[in-house]
Amino acid sequence: MYYAELLLVGLIWGCTYAMMALGLTLVYGLLRILHVAQATVFTLGAYIGLLAANYSGSLAVAFIAGAIAAGALGPLIYRFVYQPILDRPPFVALVASIGVLIAMEDGFRLLFGPYGLSFEHNTWFTTTYSFAGMTMNLVQIWMVVTAVVLLSAFAIFATRTRAGVAWRATVSDPPMAESFGISVSGVRYVNFLIASVLAGIAGVLVGLLNNLVEPGMGSVIAYKGLAIIVLGGLGSVPGTLVASLALGVVESYGTVFLDKVLDRDAIAFLFLIVVLMIRPQGLLGRR
Amino acid sequence: MQIKSGSRLLVAAALGAALVAPASAQTIKIGFHAPLTGFAAADGKSALNGAELAVEEINAAGGINGRKIELVVVDDQAKADQAVPIANKYIGEGLKIVVSGSYSGPTRAAAGVFQKAQIPYISSYAIHPDITRAGNYVFRTSFMGEVQGRAAAKFIGDIMKKKNVTLITLNNDFGQSLSAGFKEAAPKFGVKVISEYTYAMGDRQFGSIVASVKRDNPDMLYVSGYFFNGGPLVAQLRAGGIKTPILGTEGFDTHNFIKIAGPAAEGVMITTSLDRDSKSPAMRKFIDDYEKKFNTPADMVAASTNTAINVAAAAIAKAGSDDPAKIRDAIAGTKDFQVSTGKISFNDLGEIYKAAQVQVIKDGKFHHQATIDDPQLLAPPMK
Repeated sequence: MYYAELLLVGLIWGCTYAMMALGLTLVYGLLRILHVAQATVFTLGAYIGLLAANYSGSLAVAFIAGAIAAGALGPLIYRFVYQPILDRPPFVALVASIGVLIAMEDGFRLLFGPYGLSFEHNTWFTTTYSFAGMTMNLVQIWMVVTAVVLLSAFAIFATRTRAGVAWRATVSDPPMAESFGISVSGVRYVNFLIASVLAGIAGVLVGLLNNLVEPGMGSVIAYKGLAIIVLGGLGSVPGTLVASLALGVVESYGTVFLDKVLDRDAIAFLFLIVVLMIRPQGLLGRR
Repeated sequence: MQIKSGSRLLVAAALGAALVAPASAQTIKIGFHAPLTGFAAADGKSALNGAELAVEEINAAGGINGRKIELVVVDDQAKADQAVPIANKYIGEGLKIVVSGSYSGPTRAAAGVFQKAQIPYISSYAIHPDITRAGNYVFRTSFMGEVQGRAAAKFIGDIMKKKNVTLITLNNDFGQSLSAGFKEAAPKFGVKVISEYTYAMGDRQFGSIVASVKRDNPDMLYVSGYFFNGGPLVAQLRAGGIKTPILGTEGFDTHNFIKIAGPAAEGVMITTSLDRDSKSPAMRKFIDDYEKKFNTPADMVAASTNTAINVAAAAIAKAGSDDPAKIRDAIAGTKDFQVSTGKISFNDLGEIYKAAQVQVIKDGKFHHQATIDDPQLLAPPMK
């Protein structure tokens, strides 16, 4: 039972990672940019969601506000940070992205104070359900439900809709897609919009789960997100999902059984190194 | 070119001196570094508040022998690599005493520099044992981790009468020294450590530890960490259905802990040096004045920097001179001094002796639970 509970804990973590890492994979697939500043979008979503919740008293409003704020910030970062340097080598964009992350971390601190903020009425956290000796709270349940619903919606969008086909065409061959009348720039904005909305919602959920929204909450998940997309095979969406869940589970067991030797965050990178030694192309990547 | 820029500098220096001369002849400068930005900025803010309150009150009471004191504040970001340049800057500016309002990393790095320069240096709340080992010019006004861990073992064994304890330890020097002190003293009080889990500074999700505690089913939990990881940890333990009593440490000693943990904070106990129900006038005055000035309740970090500045000021007054060696001797001679963290004295290593307070959270506020005043158990090491 104990091991089953650890597995469940790991899968919940995996869902958080999946919502963050999918956006990173999308951006990487389209522009070959390692979008570290996604963590800024995640943190902004959490802050706006928290302020909306404390102001309105409604968690539904929190998710809508968080998603809108994040959905606005992501495309703005693309327009004003990445677009002017798209013709440079990819590491230029990576450095710019890290710059945004670090600057915004202290920006959040100036705006919202250094102590971090908490939800006044985090009813989802205190509502718990017990079954078979395991206890889950409503935030954890929503984390899983939201991840499954949003990621399935994305899969349907990518495979069944015209916009989704246009998006995939742009990923595989931008000039060819453009010659078929697809607006490459439009696809890029939609790409950042989807990635950012997912990150913003993940931010609100993580804020609820910790009952704490703090300036630096994005930095760990940003770098772990990079580990996940490499682990999944760069640019592979199914690989990213598998890697997210796998990492969540490895961390869940690792924090209990390897805690004397390794930090939880070190486990992520050790796992990455081991997998890359065995499968250099990533879990589901193609050679 | 050389001469010209040199003379310009001279003019600037003369102008500057003329502008500040009336004040600087009078003021006594105390160096103060704290993490005002970076991951520890929350503690940095409390640290600065506590120090500023001390300066304000000392100046309002007439200063030191008629001279005002002034803080020279620098942000160290809680990074060890920032500490040495900061220390050298203070020494270059001719400061005679410096107080650390920061964590162990930078404080430990700076301690050696100040010792070499023979400038008295007081660590407010950094707990690493090596800090005071830098030499006889370095002092500490907070409990060492080991000492606080021993107090926790006595409280759990003697007062709570609990036997089987699980430790949840923050994996840094703070958490590890608390854990070491606890495990060293536990057998004396009939306490058995049945399991220990560690976590990292950045962790906010503790699902696997919650599951493990549930399996181990201890009589009591001893949890180290800071409010930003301890708050989520305690909330998750309670949300996971664990009703075991929890003893935390002075890292939870801030109302931010209560805000984050919410209803789960009720009944959580901590070892600390600040007693909210204290009848000591100095402690009472600090708690009330702090809340009035900053509109937020006082915490352990603020009380510690407040204590350190008061120790520094009292030493300068007693030395009656700006000679660092005389100030050092005066600090070392501090005995039964009543400050915001209680009645304090230093030993030969520059470590503090004071009673340990156990506070309990009731109706969203810290209250007195027990005082552990055991000079033998709480004696800091002599070397």
